[in-house]
Amino acid sequence: MKKPLDDKDLAVQAKALFDDSVEQLDAATLSRLNRGRQKALQEVRAGGPAGQWARWVPAGGLAAAAVVAVVVWQGAPVEHSVPEAGSAADFEIMLSEDSLDMLEDLEFYSWIDTANAVPDSDVG
Amino acid sequence: MNAYAGIFAVSCNREQPEEAKTLQREQQLNQFLAGVERRALRFAEIAVRDRDEALDLVQDAMIKLARNYAGQPEAEWTPLFYRILQNGIRDWHRRQMVRKRVMVWFGRTSDPEDDYDPVAQAPDPMGRTPDEQIEAREAMQTLEHAIGDLPARQREAFMLRTFEGLDVAATAVAMGCSDGSVKTHYSRAVHTLREKLGEHWQ
Repeated sequence: MKKPLDDKDLAVQAKALFDDSVEQLDAATLSRLNRGRQKALQEVRAGGPAGQWARWVPAGGLAAAAVVAVVVWQGAPVEHSVPEAGSAADFEIMLSEDSLDMLEDLEFYSWIDTANAVPDSDVG
Repeated sequence: MNAYAGIFAVSCNREQPEEAKTLQREQQLNQFLAGVERRALRFAEIAVRDRDEALDLVQDAMIKLARNYAGQPEAEWTPLFYRILQNGIRDWHRRQMVRKRVMVWFGRTSDPEDDYDPVAQAPDPMGRTPDEQIEAREAMQTLEHAIGDLPARQREAFMLRTFEGLDVAATAVAMGCSDGSVKTHYSRAVHTLREKLGEHWQ
């Protein structure tokens, strides 16, 4: 009569089979595992102070490039297709009635300007 | 001149222990990985049923451990390594599910030749007869299929506890869950496997 399989027997038999299958791994597989391990160990070598800096180089370069791009973009000459606010104000002044009156008395204002430019000693 | 020599000496003295420390850590990690890699491969192979995929997963886990946790105490490496490997296996299963959905959507199914073939071609290092080898392989194949059919968390708990010999606390770290959950998953896994394998094993 078969003895019922208890938890411990199951674990022992399963582990024995697993260990056996580990021992059966072929040379090509072991070689690939070894290569993978060596690749992983390179990470430890790269984990020193110099390596840590080297790891940030690509990210730093990308960030610097982004900053340069933003600066260049902001500094580029902008062509204004619409008149500035100041130009519009000048245009309104030009069209106002007061300004037209000023244009009619242009000779008078020109004389005042000349008189102000002459020193007091010359007037007197 | 003496001042420069002194500065140089101080600089060398600072760098030397750091280099020696890195070298020592590298040797320790090499020893650890060499001891765990074969079992990790079979562990992953049972979970994904594909050796090439399992090799990639183990390599990724080794690289991530070296990159992120080489500075951790050596005693913590085993549960950390298996946690990384478990996460990789879970991600792999998620990708496979998405891939299968896409394949179904495009009306394609997997190639039967791609199915998992567990029969290894290497000669038996233990000097057993071909019949004994076949018997052992068939038993392992039955076990692998039974484990592969378990829910993911039960499979993880069973393999970590039984194959890797991790205790409940270390298994909990590796699985990212509580001790109680590990016990529950392990107990259910053993119960299911005993029912499935009871006919074959005694």
